[in-house]
Amino acid sequence: MIRNLFKAAPPDPFDLNPRTDTPLDFPFHDYGHLTPDDYDRLGFICGLEVHQQLATRSKLFCRCPAGRSTARVDGEVLRHMRPTLSELGQYDGCALMEFKTRKDIVYLLERSTVCTYEMDDTPPFEIDEEAVRVALHVSRLFGLSLVSELQVMRKQYLDGSIPAGFQRSAMIAVGGEIPFRESELGRDQVIRIRQLTLEEDSCREVSDVGHLITFRTDRLGTPLVETVTEPDLLTPLDVAAGGRLLSRVVHTSGAVRRGPGAARQDVNVSIAGGRRVEIKGVAHHRGLPRLVHIEAFRQLELLKLRAELLDRGVTKDQLTIPEVGVAWESSLAVDARRALRGCGYPPVADALARGDFIAAVRLPRFDDLLGRRLQPGMTFAHEFADRVRVIACLTARPFMISSHLQDYGLKASTWRRVRAALSAESRDAMLVVWGAAADVDTAVREILIRAQDALDGVPSETRQSYGDLTTGLERILPGPQRMYPDTDTPPLPVPETWIVAADEAVGELPWDREDRYVATGLSRSVAARLVDAPWADLFDALSPTGPESAGALAHAFETRLPHHRRTLGAELPSADRLRPLVAAVEAESVHPQAFATALDDLMRDAGVAPDEVVNRYAARGDVDRAELERRLSEIEWVRTERAPNLPRDAAHRLAMGLVMPALLGRLPAQVVGSAVDAWLGDAPELAA
Amino acid sequence: MSAPDDAYKGYRDPTLSTMRRFEATVWSKVRAHTTRGTFEGLVLPRSEIADAEHVVLKLQSGYNVGLRHDTIENIEVLGYREAVYRVPEEEFPSDPTKPRVRLFGTGGTIASRLDYRTGAVIPAFTPGELYGSVPELADICNLETEKLFGVFSENIGREHWLTLAERVVEAIEEGYDGVVVGHGTDTMHHTAAALSFMVQDTPIPIVMVGSQRSSDRPSSDAARNLLAATWTAAHGPIAEVMVCMFGPTSDTYNLLHRGTRVRKMHSSYRSTFRTIGDIPLAMVTEGHLSPLKTGWRERRSDRPPQLHAVWDERVTILYYYPHMNPDVLDALVGCGYRGIVIAGTGLGHVNTKLFPAIERATAAGVQIYMTLQTLWGFVQMQVYETGREILARGVLPLANMLPEVAFIKLGWALAMHPDDPDAVAALMQENVTGEMTEREPHDGYLLFQGGVPEMRELLSRIRS
Repeated sequence: MIRNLFKAAPPDPFDLNPRTDTPLDFPFHDYGHLTPDDYDRLGFICGLEVHQQLATRSKLFCRCPAGRSTARVDGEVLRHMRPTLSELGQYDGCALMEFKTRKDIVYLLERSTVCTYEMDDTPPFEIDEEAVRVALHVSRLFGLSLVSELQVMRKQYLDGSIPAGFQRSAMIAVGGEIPFRESELGRDQVIRIRQLTLEEDSCREVSDVGHLITFRTDRLGTPLVETVTEPDLLTPLDVAAGGRLLSRVVHTSGAVRRGPGAARQDVNVSIAGGRRVEIKGVAHHRGLPRLVHIEAFRQLELLKLRAELLDRGVTKDQLTIPEVGVAWESSLAVDARRALRGCGYPPVADALARGDFIAAVRLPRFDDLLGRRLQPGMTFAHEFADRVRVIACLTARPFMISSHLQDYGLKASTWRRVRAALSAESRDAMLVVWGAAADVDTAVREILIRAQDALDGVPSETRQSYGDLTTGLERILPGPQRMYPDTDTPPLPVPETWIVAADEAVGELPWDREDRYVATGLSRSVAARLVDAPWADLFDALSPTGPESAGALAHAFETRLPHHRRTLGAELPSADRLRPLVAAVEAESVHPQAFATALDDLMRDAGVAPDEVVNRYAARGDVDRAELERRLSEIEWVRTERAPNLPRDAAHRLAMGLVMPALLGRLPAQVVGSAVDAWLGDAPELAA
Repeated sequence: MSAPDDAYKGYRDPTLSTMRRFEATVWSKVRAHTTRGTFEGLVLPRSEIADAEHVVLKLQSGYNVGLRHDTIENIEVLGYREAVYRVPEEEFPSDPTKPRVRLFGTGGTIASRLDYRTGAVIPAFTPGELYGSVPELADICNLETEKLFGVFSENIGREHWLTLAERVVEAIEEGYDGVVVGHGTDTMHHTAAALSFMVQDTPIPIVMVGSQRSSDRPSSDAARNLLAATWTAAHGPIAEVMVCMFGPTSDTYNLLHRGTRVRKMHSSYRSTFRTIGDIPLAMVTEGHLSPLKTGWRERRSDRPPQLHAVWDERVTILYYYPHMNPDVLDALVGCGYRGIVIAGTGLGHVNTKLFPAIERATAAGVQIYMTLQTLWGFVQMQVYETGREILARGVLPLANMLPEVAFIKLGWALAMHPDDPDAVAALMQENVTGEMTEREPHDGYLLFQGGVPEMRELLSRIRS
């Protein structure tokens, strides 16, 4: 009954790829074999949505502490969700899909991390000022235009990830752009930023089995900014580079949370003739290129399937059954229990034994198409299984089998019985699905909806990424219909003083900083890494002047500081402690080669005055030369006993290893090397 | 030619002038060039209670943003698209085998839609609208609705109670199988009490229902409450005035509370209604009712109810506080109040400073009754000397009647017997419809203390 009342708004035309010239003759390629021109032919475009938690004291709409994580449970609440109308009077397709899942949603509560606001039993408190200010700051980093009055919106999420059924979210700024020098298409590229919103984070999912989904609420309500780009990333490598750049910019604010779960990225992908598909929960940039490549080809294969189905004369009408009554009393589906009795396929036999309902569905003229490969290890049939799993919540594994499988599952004779029961023609594909009767009814309807979607090509979906970088359906892609003004919070005019403060906080933009480092003599790659490093400010405080000291400093930081922080748990050293070392290198009283070792000493011998440590490595002219002579004389055994049995270069390395450490910084390695060379020269030649 | 004012709905100067200058009416698609950048979207109406400084745009993404009038340099009008926010209306299906239920609307948030004038939600109510948003109703009954008033519950008063009582009795006489009254939750217990006294011996369920979360929210309790209430009215066995609201805050079951023993106890929790000093009548989910209590009145098909739709508004509640001065009481008498319900401390006390004022009031014919701020427990004025002295000055104790219920009952009793103070006093001290109980069961008072180990243990096992 509900099914035929709530009507979804059509998918947003805004999500269509601007190009319609799908290259249907483009052959399949694995990742790593295509050029940027190939991706251009595919019409590949990609945009990113970066979610970054802010390091505020409180949550966004209540005064619970932000950033705490817990496994404790003090209580539970149970909720159900119903779709509601958008402000413009339409239902959101995603919301209706979630409603069909009929889930019991359980929230686990812990006293110190949630209050009655998160449970949706208390209206929101004032929006957290600190979070708004950080969001303004980050917006300015992206060069965005700020709105003058924040209007808190309710963004519907019926998947249960928010107990209220909506996320409170406010648009902070729109329309900006950042340089994208990392692009493989050239250093003049830019990424346009569509918008930045400030919103509350959702719950963490604990489990999702059948019609029961459980969430932890500790993270719920934590302020985060979502930065959305235009689809300006045109190759898979650029998607990863763009992702790195965006998180780099956000981190420049210094007011965001780090650590697991603090930043999450969604990727929006489409190709010519396709439409935007959102892939959620991509934790690492390095997997992005393969992920989006796989998605591009999934879309290409779906568009090829579409062309083929249209060619065969398949229409949506042929795939439609009445909305009233049960699904299997229709021309496309039947109760298949009798046809399957004694079939010998264990999952079906078990289902019959459990008393599950079993339906068979026919898809006119789909015959061999269900076996078409769409992703590595996944066929078109998987798209149907996904849809049934997500929406009908069938719990058996497996819960479905399709007729394209020849060497597995049901025997040919069984399929013949099913085919007869369905009155299916030889070119019809068949699917058999089992579970609770109500769920099977939903499943049959969803199979037909997915089949209808195949005639449109790429369904409007949010997909989740798996470990192997393939994806599966998570839900229907929500549209603007899910937005509704929050009647519980008044509009917030943004004070001019906050904007001024945000502009002042912006300071040097990361790409400008990188340029400055390059100007001091660092290589582009070292400079780029330094911009992102936590010791960038320390580097600036020491302001090395020459390319040599700058390079030595950047290198020493990069190689030594992570080690000290890891093993000693040490804080970053103060600029004052390091300044004498930098000065000594720049005055050429310590050789740059000693930098890393001297830095180690400064970190380790915290009680020793920095000058004293630096002195250990200070050059003393003749004294150092005499020291070299003395040290060589102490290892005479190398020359007499070992060198005769070693190749010349090995003997050289052995001697260098013994004398150099004591002279590090005082004499350049080349000088010591030549001396060792000369000293070894007197040694007897290696016996032939 | 300038557009009519309605074209700029809710906008005032200085923003209005800016909009007129560019002919950017409400529902125009515009591109606004501002000192802070360019914004493209649909101009929305402005809430009248919001400031006059901003234009509201709905962006392509569905987000709304406000643009300050003095940042706007130019607005290009690109088109026009008027939005219609309406719950889809579908004809409510009729099924002769199902019971007939009458649903009276008084306002509140059972079904609602956005109101741009106030920026809040306003009720939507026709059967078609209700069916459009809660289609499961058609599985329960044949529903006929009538919108009596459209007021928030704080504005409910005497006229509403009288009209509602009369219409409920008419519905009973017309043969409906149950009556549901949609009501804002803030004063639902006052109206429940009023209906309890004004409509006695009802042969069918009279079920009051509301919601703590408006129905424009996915997690609203509105649909669940409405389904449970409608099912109770159509199929339930209890023929009393009841309040049907969430039991726990979880979507688990609803409780049916007797109309004279129920009270809203939390400003925002879903499970805000509680039976005080007793246990609820029953637990109910759509399709199933489990009685918790015995002794309720059963659904019948015979006698018509008694209608006593009268109420004297010259009554008040005096919430006692320490150091209260007698002039407060004198002022009430001076204002012409005929009946005063005191919410006293402890077992039913006020300070001795009030004694002369009490004497002056009773001498002037004002009736004074004692109830409790503690809400739980009985007025027992014989225990302490203060209590005995208050009694001696003509204040009558009302056992464990809730202060709000006593207030409603006193207005009703004064109107029932306008010229007979003794009859009023007798009626007040008689248990008419469950407003006083003879005994308080041990679990009639359950305010557990959070944090203590046994509560932690309990809460780890149940869904609150």
